[in-house]
Amino acid sequence: MHWVNWLVVIVYLAWVIGDSLHRSMGSKDIEGYFLANRSLPWWAVGLSVMATQLSAVTLIGTTGQGATDGLRFVQFYFGLPVAMVILGVTIVPFLHKAKVYTAYEYLERRFNPATRSLTSLLFLLSRGMSCGTIIAAPAVVFSAVLGWSLWWSVAIIGVPTVLYTVVGGVQAVTWADVKQMFVIVGSLLAIVVVLVMRLPVPLDDALHLAGAAGRLQVFDFSWDLSKTYTFWSGMLGGTFLMLSYFGTDQSQVQRYLAARSVDEARSSLLMSAYWKIPLQALVLLVGVLVFLFYSFEKPPLLWNPAHDKAARAAAGAEFAQFDARYDVAVATRREFAAAASVYRARGQEAATAAATQKFVAADLEVNAIRAEALGRTGEIVKAPTRDVNYIIPRFVIDFLPIGLAGLFLAAVLAAAMSSIAAELNSLATASVIDFYRRWFKREASDAHYLTAGKVATALWGVFACVVATYAATLGSLIEVVNRFGSFFYGSILGVFMLAMIPRARGIGAFVGLLAGMGSVAAVTFGAPQISFLWHNVIGAVVVVAVGMFLSVVIPDSKQAAAA
Amino acid sequence: MSSPNVRTTLVRVLLIQIITLAALWYVQTRYGA
Repeated sequence: MHWVNWLVVIVYLAWVIGDSLHRSMGSKDIEGYFLANRSLPWWAVGLSVMATQLSAVTLIGTTGQGATDGLRFVQFYFGLPVAMVILGVTIVPFLHKAKVYTAYEYLERRFNPATRSLTSLLFLLSRGMSCGTIIAAPAVVFSAVLGWSLWWSVAIIGVPTVLYTVVGGVQAVTWADVKQMFVIVGSLLAIVVVLVMRLPVPLDDALHLAGAAGRLQVFDFSWDLSKTYTFWSGMLGGTFLMLSYFGTDQSQVQRYLAARSVDEARSSLLMSAYWKIPLQALVLLVGVLVFLFYSFEKPPLLWNPAHDKAARAAAGAEFAQFDARYDVAVATRREFAAAASVYRARGQEAATAAATQKFVAADLEVNAIRAEALGRTGEIVKAPTRDVNYIIPRFVIDFLPIGLAGLFLAAVLAAAMSSIAAELNSLATASVIDFYRRWFKREASDAHYLTAGKVATALWGVFACVVATYAATLGSLIEVVNRFGSFFYGSILGVFMLAMIPRARGIGAFVGLLAGMGSVAAVTFGAPQISFLWHNVIGAVVVVAVGMFLSVVIPDSKQAAAA
Repeated sequence: MSSPNVRTTLVRVLLIQIITLAALWYVQTRYGA
């Protein structure tokens, strides 16, 4: 990469780290370190909530998904505004008024220590591992595209993040998130402008091509439970998923617990309700525009350069044949894309339709050849070959003007760092508040817990970097942990729903949680065709049903003793 | 910056949701196959 791009990245890192550390000088006690003394303005918390959710995978994976699959993924977020409104009137005031550090702490007050410890432990297990994968996903892409070693890629993402999170706590995390959101959105908008300017045909004509190739299909109203992204899975399953994520996951709850008041906490969540769907549509639109860009340029057969090299070294002749067929299909696609635009300008509707049809057929042929080549590559490298995550980085390196490529790299770093920082900060909070202070050292000075918080953040940071470095070899283990995580997301939401029902009791919440997790596991293995978005609905409903049944049937031990 | 009134915010959420979905619907129907 050109030195100007590196300069942009270095300026970004210096700005984020320097300013975060400067702003965090006031964190002298545990409440300041974990909750910024509940003093942050709603707009900073709102941007922090959005930055936490937007990870590097969103920037490089979702844009790639936009290029290959179009806009339909945006349906996944349709339930988010609904969830934010529900949370604003339910969990947010409960947690904020309870003056807790963690969401799980509230469950002990409402139910019992066992429910608190179990939910917090489940959070630590799943988030501890996922933090590693959040670093690993962009690190693997960086190392393949830029030729860095994986260790170096993990270090450039992980070290600055751990540094400012350990030193500055939630103040540093939040103010870094604010800056990171501006970098991310700014770079996305800049890429859109460059892409539109570089299209050789008018934008309107290009969008007709994207539409014909299915890339602008947004809504799917079918009631098919096996389809992941439909209007209904987004509206219903998505609402439950977002309720679980924003309402019960400490990495998000801690953002709005740091707000000045209940009203400000609500407003911060509603910022996502306003902007998440438009932002996600923008991310996917970048992908669609990249697809259009490559409809007039020759895209590589395999986007992952490391796999490309390995496959050609092992089966050169076979890949030469793939190349020959691919070149013909790509040239045909380009020819008819340009022809459709010429006919459209002349007002020749029949000719436009015919050229568009041939463009779509050529696009299908391009995809079919790529699928074949990827299948063969999989046999050679004996690893997953899905290369969607490499599309945008390759485009950025090969075609973006000097400076803008650096800005995009800074944006990917920003997206990764904002998610990792929030997770490290919340993992440390849950470790110290729900376990260390609760079970091991109940009475100690504030300074002692502050040091414990910093040590816990550093340890989780080192753990995440180690997991990320060995992500390739730990692949199946991480998958198991992620799968395990999906068993309890909806179930924990069910426990919080129970907490808001006055008749619900501790025994119901604890056994209900186990029953909810068990039922999601049963559905996952017994009916794997059901999309994961429905798992959260199932988990939450089972917990509430079992929890309420037990709360009513089993006599309250305190009442029984009094009688 | 002061926190906006919650009811005003809810009306805004609804409006922006409708506008966004309408824009996406427009894109799909104008350019869709």
